[in-house]
Formats: sequence, structure tokens, C-alpha cells
Amino acid sequence: MALYGQKQFHIVNHSVPREDGFDKVTGRATYAADIKYPNMIYAAMLRLVGVASAKVTKIDTSKALKLAGVLAVFTADSFPKMKSWARYFYITDTVRYVGDVIAIIAAETYAIAEEAKKLIHVTYEELPAVFDIREAMKEGAHPVHEEYPDNIFTDSIYTLRKGDTEKGFEQADLIIERTYETQYAEHAYIEPEAVVASEDSSNGEMTIHASAQNPFFTRRYVADILQIPLNRVHIIQETLGGSFGGKEEGVGLLAARAAFVCHVLHRPVKMVYTREESILESSKRHPFLLTYRAGVKKDGRIVAWEATQIGNSGAYNNQTQFLNWRACAHCAGAYDIPNIKSKTFGVFTNNVHSGAFRGYSSPQLLFAQEQFIEEIAEELGMEPLKLRLINCLRDGSTVATGAKVSEVLLPDIIEYTAKQTDYTKKYEQNKTQSGRIRKGIGMAISHRGCGYGAESPDAAGAFLIVNEDASVLLHSGIAENGQGLKTVYCQIAAEALGVPYENIRFFGTDTHRIPDCGMTVASRGTVMGSQAVKKAGEKLNLILREHACTLGFFDSGKGGAPNDRIAQDLVLREGHIFDPSYHEYQVPLADVTNIALWKGLNMAAYEWHVPDPCIQEHDTQQGRAFPTYSYTCVVAELEVDTGTGEVTLKNVHSSHDVGTAINPALIKGQIYGGIVMGWGYASMEEVVLKNGIVGSRNLDEYLIPTAMDMPNMKVSIFECDDNSGTYGAKSVGEPAIECVAAAIANALYNATGRRIRCNPAGLENVLIGRKLW
Amino acid sequence: MVDEKDYLVANNLNEAKVLMHEHCGNIHVLAGGTDLMVALREGKRSGRDTTYLLDISNIQELKAIERKKVTISDEDCNTNEDYIRIGAMVTFDEAAHSGLLLKTAGALCEAAKSVGAQQIRNVATIGGNVCNAAVAADSLSALTILDAKVVLEDLRGERVLSIGEFITGPGKTAINEDELLTEIRFKPLEDYYSAFVKLGRRKALAISRMNVAAALAFEDEKITEARISPGCVFATPRRVQSAEKILIGESPSEELFMEAGEEVSKEMVRITGRRWSTDYKYPALSAVTFKALAIAYNQAKSDT
Repeated sequence: MALYGQKQFHIVNHSVPREDGFDKVTGRATYAADIKYPNMIYAAMLRLVGVASAKVTKIDTSKALKLAGVLAVFTADSFPKMKSWARYFYITDTVRYVGDVIAIIAAETYAIAEEAKKLIHVTYEELPAVFDIREAMKEGAHPVHEEYPDNIFTDSIYTLRKGDTEKGFEQADLIIERTYETQYAEHAYIEPEAVVASEDSSNGEMTIHASAQNPFFTRRYVADILQIPLNRVHIIQETLGGSFGGKEEGVGLLAARAAFVCHVLHRPVKMVYTREESILESSKRHPFLLTYRAGVKKDGRIVAWEATQIGNSGAYNNQTQFLNWRACAHCAGAYDIPNIKSKTFGVFTNNVHSGAFRGYSSPQLLFAQEQFIEEIAEELGMEPLKLRLINCLRDGSTVATGAKVSEVLLPDIIEYTAKQTDYTKKYEQNKTQSGRIRKGIGMAISHRGCGYGAESPDAAGAFLIVNEDASVLLHSGIAENGQGLKTVYCQIAAEALGVPYENIRFFGTDTHRIPDCGMTVASRGTVMGSQAVKKAGEKLNLILREHACTLGFFDSGKGGAPNDRIAQDLVLREGHIFDPSYHEYQVPLADVTNIALWKGLNMAAYEWHVPDPCIQEHDTQQGRAFPTYSYTCVVAELEVDTGTGEVTLKNVHSSHDVGTAINPALIKGQIYGGIVMGWGYASMEEVVLKNGIVGSRNLDEYLIPTAMDMPNMKVSIFECDDNSGTYGAKSVGEPAIECVAAAIANALYNATGRRIRCNPAGLENVLIGRKLW
Repeated sequence: MVDEKDYLVANNLNEAKVLMHEHCGNIHVLAGGTDLMVALREGKRSGRDTTYLLDISNIQELKAIERKKVTISDEDCNTNEDYIRIGAMVTFDEAAHSGLLLKTAGALCEAAKSVGAQQIRNVATIGGNVCNAAVAADSLSALTILDAKVVLEDLRGERVLSIGEFITGPGKTAINEDELLTEIRFKPLEDYYSAFVKLGRRKALAISRMNVAAALAFEDEKITEARISPGCVFATPRRVQSAEKILIGESPSEELFMEAGEEVSKEMVRITGRRWSTDYKYPALSAVTFKALAIAYNQAKSDT
């Protein structure tokens, strides 16, 4: 048992208040849409709403240009032709999905720009289109991109081979196969995308205030469209009203469009999405078509596993290849299976593009895998809990990529959570219920590779500056997304540097102040991104102790000590330097820094951290995919009205191995949020697309859970001695959501005896087994 | 983007009637605005083509919930009887917590509680909900089992219509362009036990997938009166008399309520035909009706 509370730290591992909490709660926080410049203009985007695939033949802008206050109308002909990171044109004349922009109108006010949209006359030819994975893969289907004639996104194909599945299936007493399907889901962050672009005409520098998840990523779009060096593009990340993976490509597109309009018209430009535009053009969670086949021995051992995991990429390639790499590494769930074969790939369709969204494929895969495990258990006539414990990862197990894992708390977490929720007893009792309202209990477990792993070098830097008053500025290229990163980084800096938490300030991420540290994604911020913060803190801690010696604070006689001390004899903690042997004598840090400044001593440290490489063999994906894994077990309890299909989520117990809980309160916040987001994904969230047309255009139609839909939530935080991450921390942002929909689906089956193999479980799906749209 | 409107405020009923007359056809009443503001932003529905918005939230005469003897002659009613009068500008929050309504129209209080979320209930009004005439309006099924009537006024005078007469189709009413809906009135259902059950896709801020209002009266363990009105099912609100007949004269039981529920679904299919959604709506409507009847009956049981 390793529940939170055993570790000894001074500042990390404690629930300090959020660095940005006060500003957000009092409404003082500044968001990108709040930024104003004198002489600022607005730009609006025109789309062929209602057409998913078309060639624009003519755009008549003459009437719009005559409207007072309209400054310019840009079309594909008058805008730079380069493509974005996800291979978009910023303005296109070939519409591949309903979000594609075909014109941009710049005007003195937002209202005029919107009015001008109505005066633009567009002539187009509608083209054939494909919308569904199965349809897109049919012979002769319309190719969404010429480069991919069969619509299969070849760069996103990953195949994994572990052991010998043929032999494995031969040994099996039972072979079972099932197919599952998941839906498009919207991030539904509270703040729609916004940018403000402003150019300094004296030196050609472009400054963009942006609701960017990854300011450095956004910077590339702007530099590319303007064809200027990166050092002339200054991206300032404003307070972010949520992102969850959604403000990457979308904000890059917006920033580049605003920058170009600003550059041409020599006026600051604001562009803010309406909620409808945000839902139309922002990326979505990839829908997946998932087929699993397992060979099992009578005693419950899974000896062979085959997976076919097909993602719907939508109209553009927005990260499908990276997401599929992760999906491939996690193709067999949190189980130790000797023989595995899997294929993962993406398919282009004329739908909204799929991209990064909290979990990065895991909520989809687990929805299928964790139901599949229970379907296997049922065929075997075995309790699902027992089947999980027989096969789950434990110390010395090998994951799907063949790498050995250690410090695995998963079996303990499963048993603890089952016991706390009285899982087995309730599970059995629920099977024999009668009556209209039925109870259900369901479990799901997961392992999640922490950080980038072998996807990309998980390197990052940090810069710490101590001022003469002992206050500290922290710079990092990893950005606050609302997850609490500033707070956690300040805690880590304070712990390493030996100053009070309140002394550290991390005011935000700005591309002019620190090198590109990669993206704030993959739940890597705390586990890997902050390694450099710790390193810089430790380095500066030593530097300051040296200064204390150099400046004579620890000469012989000081504090009653007979000899001169060197830095290694001293401790800097909580803002005081002292010799532990003579600890009554404590020198306040500010006394040292005040003098050090005027003596010309360095009081800043910059560090860069590169973790040990993770290397896999490409064709089989065998090797070390991740430095370590987080482990999760979720148990959900619910009630189903079998007359109407109404589901009430009653209790969710979410248990996580977080390695070291850097800030337990923030971890709980992440997990509560993950539970609610997972509940929405399981029960009501679906971007309804009919022939590529988005049906749920705003939050009155795209439903997410309200406060009234929240279950009782219990969080159990486990810690372990795995030291791969900073201070032993592991990922939690994405583990928080990934098991929830799967546990709910299993609970629904426990309640009703009906499997929901096609997410989400809305009223109709629960009652009659299919959706009505 | 919301179109700009000239915003007018009436401080009393007469002022409002004058303004409605003066700008007849070019003015839209703002009676809370929780639907209207959304419609204006989307450039949809009524309000789009008018120049003026008339805010009537300052009119005190429209804000009372009271028991009153009504003297206007009305062929259905004896003028000596009490009426409950709800001013058109009574908010859902006020309706949900009105002691008078809790005693005389429990289902309406439940319906009011189920509207949107607290912020919406604080401003949305019962008059606005009725005039909006949405198929999924939460108040309409409850008002239908109350056999409620609406009072329409203009400078010439007033007229009284039943809910059934007033609502002529989805989103359509019999109101004239210069008329204001000033009150909703009904005979108190003091001997009845009533219930309202809403089925939505989430627990708050949900548009009814369907709802049912039901009222039952008992004597000697037998059902003497029954009223059932499903919402979101028919183009205009109505009671389902064939289901009510099944109940009247019988002893309450689960089987009986199930039978009545099934009859409501049958009536839905008879009137609207089988549709793509019927596979779901048929069993669900029966279940929601059953639930409403069971709640009404349980109130009666706990009362005795």
C-alpha cells in the first residue's frame, strides 16, 4: 500500500494555492480576446457552411468591398499559398470540410466584417465526398487528397509484433473477437480561440497575443506565412481558458491569418472565433473503429491478442501519425500478453479534422479494450476482476512494446479500489436485479506511457533569475494551459532552489524569453518538462551558497563555528542559508543577494534536460517506448431507468499512481475534471455530423455535463519509488479521463445486460441499442 | 452577432398596450429574453424583422400570483368560483416556489423547477414560455392538465383563450400583433394530486426530450378524475382522453398505470404516425407517463 502521505518534501508534495488562482477567480486574468490596441481592426472568416467538398470557381467580393468600413477581402488568390503544419491552406479554393476558410474580410469593426460576409457571392462546384471510415476505404471511394488515392493515411500506419500470435492462438482454449466504435468529440473549452496581431513598422517585428496552447508551435505558422525569421515573431501566451489539445493547429491558423492581414494593412488585427466557428474549425477527438481478437486459456491467461485500430483523421492530417504511435504502444491495454500483433492507421474523410484531445487515443482504445476484457471474462465464466488480476501488468511484466516494467502498483490499485467500492459484491448482486431502476457497477484499468517517450525527444529548458531582494523569476517554454503548470513549476523551483514558494513568479510563456521546449502535451509538463526547472534550481542553490561563502557570511567565527565553511557545508532552504552544525545562525538569502548584485556575481541559471532516449524497432515497435507508466483504476456506479434509458451517474472512485504527488489538490482537480469530461464522453457528447455538416454547432446542442450531472467523486492518490520523472512525479492530466467512459460502459452492461459497443450511451442507445441520428 | 434594436421600456400595462399599438407589427415583446436573445443572435424566428424590443419586466401588474374571483363571463366557468391568476411576467423561479401554486398546481411548480438552470429560471417568464409556443416548452403540458386559459389584452379590451386555442402549431399562436398576453388563469386543482416528469439528456439545461404532466383525484381508493398531457409529442399541447378514461373509476395499480402509459404512446402513433424515432419514443413515453402517474398516486398515499 502506498497511498499519498509517506514522502518527505518541503514544498512539493504539498497543496499550495494556485499561482494564478486569485486572478482567475476575481476576473482579473487577461485573455487574448481582452487585448486591445489603438487603431485595431477585425477580421472575419467566410466558409461554405453546408458544403463539405467543393471547388470554388469564383468569389465576387465587389459588393462587400463597397460596404463602408470594409478594408479588404482576401481570397485564395490574394493570400500566401503555403500550407500549415497540418497541410492546410490558410485560405483555400478547394473545400475538403465545412470548416475550410475561403475568404477573410478585414473591417473597422467586427459587425461590419460579419455583415460583409453576407455580401460575398461564391460560385462553386460540389465535389464527391466520403464521411465514414468504412465508406472511405471502399474501392473507388472519392480520394480526399490526391496524394492518398485510397484515403489511407500511409504515414500513420504502425504495426506491432510481440512474440508469435499464430502460436498463441493455437494454444488458446477460447478465441473471441469484438468490434467497437467511438464518436467525434469536441474539447468545449470555455474560451473560444482568439488572437491579436500587431506589427512594429520600425523593425518588422510581429507580436501576437494568442490563446495558444503551444506558443512556439504558433510562432512557426506566423514566421512561415510572413517569411520572416523566428526572432521577428513574438508570441505572447495570454491566460488560456482551457485547451485539452485543441489550441494547437487551430490557433496557429488563426495567428498566421491575423499576422498576414496585419502586415498587409498596417493595422493591428483581432480575430476571435465565435463558439460556432470554434466547433466548426477546431480539431476533434478521433473517432476510432476498433477490432480486438484474443486467445485465452481456460485458466484466464490471455495468450494472444490482435488489434486493428482505425482512426478517422477527417479532412487533414492533424497529428494522426503521432496519435497512432501512442495508440500502437497501448494496443493491448494494461495487460502482460506474450503474443501481440496490431495494426493502427488513419483514414481521410471529408469531416472536420481530428487532432489532439486529452488522452490522445486512450479514451477510445480503453472504451473498447476494457469492455473486451469483460466480454472475455463472461465467455470464460470468470469474474472480470479476477481476469484483470491474472493478466494485468505487475513488476517484471512486459508491455506490448516488449519493454519490462518495474515499480508497478497496478495490482494494488485494482484491489484497493475494488475493496473500497465493494465492487465484487455489488457486481454480482446487480446481475440479478429486477424492477425499473437498475444499478450498475463497472471497472476499467489502464497504464499510460508518461510524456513523449519515443515519439519525440522529451527535452526542455528552464531559466531562473534571482533578484537582489531574493524574489525569483522562472521562465519555461512549457506553458500553463489551465492544468496548474505554473503552480507546480513554482513549487519545483522553490523546492530545488531552497526558497519559499511565494518567492517564485512564473508570469507566463513568451517566445522571446526562452528556447522552444517542445509542446505542452502528452501529460509531459510535470513528469519531464520540469526536470530542467529542478536542475536550474539545484544549480542556483549551489551558486548562492558559494556567494554566501565568497562574501564572508560563513567565515570562521560566524555563528560560532571555528573554521571557514565552503558551499558544500551549507544548506539553502526556505530562503535561509545555514550550516547544519551551527544552525542557530541563519543568513537570510536577501542579505546575500543584495550584496552579490553589487559585487557583480551571477544569480541566474539556465538548464536543459534531455532524458535517456527511448528507442523502438520500427517494424515491430518493440523496445522502450516510455521512461515509465502511470497506472489507473476507475470504478463507476450508476443507475439506469430501464423505461427511458436515462442514466444517473452516482459514484466514481478514481485511483491513480502519480509517482509523487507534486500538488495533491491540483491532482484532485485534474481527476475531478477528467471524471466529468469522461462522463460527458460516455453519455452525451458527440459532434453530430451528417454528410460532413456539423449538426451540433453550439453548446446548446453539443451537450456537456453540468454541475447537476456530477457524481460523488472519490480520488485515491498512490505514490511509488519510481524516479524517472521530476521528484518521482508521473503523468496525471490524461490518465484522469482515459478510463472513465470504459468504466461507465461496463457499469451499464452490469445494470442492463446490454453492451454499448458504439459510444456514447445516450437515452436511445441505452434503451434500444442504437442512436437516433 | 445580435442585430441592434430600439429598446423600449413600458412602466405599466397601459403604456405597453399603447406602444404595441403604435408600433404594431414592428415590435417584439422582451419577456425575460432567454429564448429571444438566442433567436436574435442566430438571426432566427420572430424578432428578426422588427425595429423595436419592448421590455415589460417593469410592469408590476404582470408579476402577481394570486387567488381571485374572475367576473368575466366565460361559458365554461361559473363566475362565482375562484381562479388562480399568474401574471405573464412571473418568472419560473417565482412559480417554482409559490406556496399558492404548490397547493393548487403542483405539476406546474415541478415543470417550472425543471426549466433550464437557476440563472434562466431567474429571468425566464411563464408568459414568455407560452408565447414562444415551443413544442418542448416545459410549462405547456402542466398548463394543459390545469385546463388553463390565457388572457390577451390590447387597447380595445381583452379576450380569453384556452391553451389549446391559443397555440396553433409549433412556435405559432393566435396572438394578434398588438396584443399582450397578460395572465394565465386556471381553476385550482385542490382535490387533485399532480406530477410533472421531464426526460432530458442531462440533469440541467436540457430541452425536454419528452415530458408528461398528470393529475389524479381519488375517492374511496378509486380514481375519480384523471388528466394526462404529454409534452414534445404533439404539434400542439393536448390531453390524452383515451388514456384518462382507462384510469377513471379504477383502483390505482402499477398495471393500470402501465396500461394508461401504453395508451398515451398509442395515441402518439395514431396522431403523428410511425417515425424514425418511434422505436425509442413509444416505450419511453409509456414509461414517463407511468412515472408521472405513480408520483401523483404516491403523493395521495402519503397524504392519507
